[in-house]
Amino acid sequence: MNKNRKQEWILAAFIAVEIVLFSLTGRNFLSVTNFFECIRLGVEIGLLALALTPVIVTGGIDLSVGSMMGLCAVTFGSLWSDGHFSLTAAIALTLLVSLAGGALNAVLISRLKVSPLIVTLGTFSLFRGIAEGITAGARNYSGFPSSFLYLGQGYLGGIVPPQTILLVLAAVGFYILLQRTAVGRGLYAIGHSAEGARYGAVPVDSRLVLVYVLSGLAAGLAAIVYVAHLGQAKSDAGTGYELIAITAVVLGGTSIFGGSGTILGTLMGLAAIVVLQNGLRLSAWPTELAGISTGTLLILTIAIERWANQEGRSKTSPAMRWSAIGGAAALVALVVFLLHGKSAENGASTGAGRRVTVAVMPKAKGDPYFISCKVGAEEAAQALNVDLIWDGPTGLDAAKQNELVQGWITRHVDAISVSVENAPGISTVLRQARAQGIKVVTWDADSEIDARDYFINQATAQSIGFTLADEAARIMHNRGEFAIITGALSAANQNLWMGFIRQRVADKYPDMKIMAVRPSDDDRDKAFAEAQTLMKVYPNVKVLVAISAPAVPGAGEAVRQSGRKDVQVIGLSLPNLCKPYVHGGEIEAVALWNTKDLGYLSVAAGAALARGTLKDNATSFDAGRLGKLEIKGSDIILGAPLLFRKDNIDKFNF
Amino acid sequence: MRWRLDREWPALAALAVLYIFLAIAAPSFYHFENLRDLALANVPVLLVAAGMTFIIVIGQIDISVGSLFAVTSVAFGVMVKAGLPLVVASLAALLIGAVLGSINGGLISFVRAPSIVVTLATMIVWREALRWSTGGAWVEDLPANFQWFGFGQQAGQAVIVCLALLLFALFWWASENLSAFRAIYASGSDSEAARLAGIPVKRVLFSVFVLMGALTGVAAVLNAVRFSDVPANSGMNMELIAIAAVVVGGAPITGGRGSLLGTFIGVLLLGSIAPALTFLGVNPYWEKAIQGAIILATVLFDAIRSHRAKRLALA
Repeated sequence: MNKNRKQEWILAAFIAVEIVLFSLTGRNFLSVTNFFECIRLGVEIGLLALALTPVIVTGGIDLSVGSMMGLCAVTFGSLWSDGHFSLTAAIALTLLVSLAGGALNAVLISRLKVSPLIVTLGTFSLFRGIAEGITAGARNYSGFPSSFLYLGQGYLGGIVPPQTILLVLAAVGFYILLQRTAVGRGLYAIGHSAEGARYGAVPVDSRLVLVYVLSGLAAGLAAIVYVAHLGQAKSDAGTGYELIAITAVVLGGTSIFGGSGTILGTLMGLAAIVVLQNGLRLSAWPTELAGISTGTLLILTIAIERWANQEGRSKTSPAMRWSAIGGAAALVALVVFLLHGKSAENGASTGAGRRVTVAVMPKAKGDPYFISCKVGAEEAAQALNVDLIWDGPTGLDAAKQNELVQGWITRHVDAISVSVENAPGISTVLRQARAQGIKVVTWDADSEIDARDYFINQATAQSIGFTLADEAARIMHNRGEFAIITGALSAANQNLWMGFIRQRVADKYPDMKIMAVRPSDDDRDKAFAEAQTLMKVYPNVKVLVAISAPAVPGAGEAVRQSGRKDVQVIGLSLPNLCKPYVHGGEIEAVALWNTKDLGYLSVAAGAALARGTLKDNATSFDAGRLGKLEIKGSDIILGAPLLFRKDNIDKFNF
Repeated sequence: MRWRLDREWPALAALAVLYIFLAIAAPSFYHFENLRDLALANVPVLLVAAGMTFIIVIGQIDISVGSLFAVTSVAFGVMVKAGLPLVVASLAALLIGAVLGSINGGLISFVRAPSIVVTLATMIVWREALRWSTGGAWVEDLPANFQWFGFGQQAGQAVIVCLALLLFALFWWASENLSAFRAIYASGSDSEAARLAGIPVKRVLFSVFVLMGALTGVAAVLNAVRFSDVPANSGMNMELIAIAAVVVGGAPITGGRGSLLGTFIGVLLLGSIAPALTFLGVNPYWEKAIQGAIILATVLFDAIRSHRAKRLALA
């Protein structure tokens, strides 16, 4: 216990530093509303972390909890939506599924003595795979009744998020189980030595079953809260949550080898992570810092604890200790330095009009498509005297988008401009923003219509799908076989586009046939391998339609290396990534709109709304260097998609 | 080298079932081009899994390899673009991998921090730092001799596969014959006994992580030169595939045992699943579930068998 105390003090000090720092740099960080928003953000991860504490205390681990959330989310969604079960019945059955999943882990670990790491690595794939399988990746259940959504989105007494109660109950429950009962003492004993515990009359097997079943159950509960929070249930729910939860537990002083750890420590670890993410957001600092500092903190706390334990019988030389401390200091200095450099870039700009803050969110920060949008957004910020906040999830992640908007509401930016990953998932929080007087624009992909002021319509999903189908038909002379390489199987946009490609083919090109759809997970190398295999399995395929920016050059390279002159790639991507292949003849055409203009417009429209120069029911919008743009209904029209071919691609640089 | 199968047989059996099934249902799987592409696609995982075998044999784990792979890939691309000769840049990438590995190794062996926590931390830190510094942008416009080391496609492909297989065979031989590598097995099965026998356990542990980093660097280089650009987000989930391959190949996660032969079979098995399913026309939405089921099944076979063996020994 002594050791835990020490780590808890380090953690407490760190949380204190965070709070002081962010209350200086973050806007509205130190407020009651933000305190409760932090809790709302922490509940799902918190439930997982609480349940993982006893697991790790026994010296085990459970990597499958995030995948279990995905499985439970779609189970719940399909039971309620397709199965027409009542909400209570659907929740009960979902929790049963989570119990069964936990029991599967438990049996393999306790009866067959397979290492928990391996078992849960297997079920990590298995649970997510079943979730994707039963929904064909694409199903997204939404339209839950407001009484259910209240659990995730509402306020008790106008201030406290209802899911807080669940977290508190779980914390108290796990505290009593772990630290106040003989069962809990047994878990510590198992962590120290399973064999010793057995001699001490601890029923080791059934105790292990208990902790893994509870872990499954907690994941099921977290999934329900997640669905209520986002208003949608999809197979990608909880992706990556296991790592954050484990980080929180270990940060809280629970030894990964087992035998020690407290619930209080886990809660503090959770708080450290959540406050860090929230504070960075409210300070408009890059969110990558959250990962970097969490990782550094993780190493530091463990290193300090190790050194402290070695005091007296220390074999480490002072030189090594100093070099490590120096290294840590250098790392911190580096982060501060980089931060300084980055924030300096964002300063200084001139132009007309009141200075306003526009927060712009891409669907995924790392996607080349959105990187190229960012260039235009920065240009607009410079020209139009706007403070630009550009932040988004690193991968497609509806929950993260929600969190970011929530942070911007607390920060009270002037306008929010979002490329929506999932309409039902984000619309509630966007409505909240509008209720607080923040102007909302959507771009690239729309939310529900009453959740935003204007939508920047660059090209509808329908026109994209139809354009690609028509282009494929032109190349294939309206007959023959083709195949599709998509992004992630669960990506909402891609599934929509594929739907329109299918529809167009069914309506207009009866002699064309889609032979296969393969995922690339937005990874160029994977798209390359998939394209290679597709060409071999379906030698008659004449066209590969790649609908993810990295997948198009990947497929182009595969065609080039195969030497096949009879196969053409078309798709949605950036001209710069595809130029070599377009000139080489592997890629026939790439469809896209001008991403720089799109990024520019996302900022310009937000700023104009905030300044009042763009009003409701306008019929045109004067968009700076883009000139006067037409507005249809509440859609600002950017123009139809461009087709880049050999003859025009060199004119574009993005 | 040891060819006797001991703990490797569940993976081999699964592989045999898959390959026999393919021979009947989709014989075109065995065309030379497909096998060549399969080999090329699995070169990076094979090298990373070789390093991972030693990590697991010594009773540790490294989940940061995917991030290390991405960092060394981008660093390699940037160095070549800056005008460094390919050989120098390749060696530098190897070195960068080794240095990053040594940070893991130092914290694990000398500070005695648990490997899963250390590599969890470095996994997050390197990935996020890379995201931050590149902003997700690819390394483009590389010199023409970047792809295939300038050897041209066919020769380049041969060089990459041969280099990887040679390296793998070398480590396989070394793991069975060199005392330095036997020390890994000794340290993994009983570190206290190994220490008493005069093995510098800490230094061995440190070196294994350095080796892991260096091999990841080599894997990154051999993968990068198959293309003409370097993306910023490569190596996603690579740690999971590598660990799964080693475990499926029969190495217990508790350390002390495990062979590169088993790892080879594991890589082949896991690497064949995705293309095999395309050849068999299986719906891709079930792919992850099938992968998970195969991992569990091979591990279960082994668990049940050793369970029985134990019971027999007691009776």
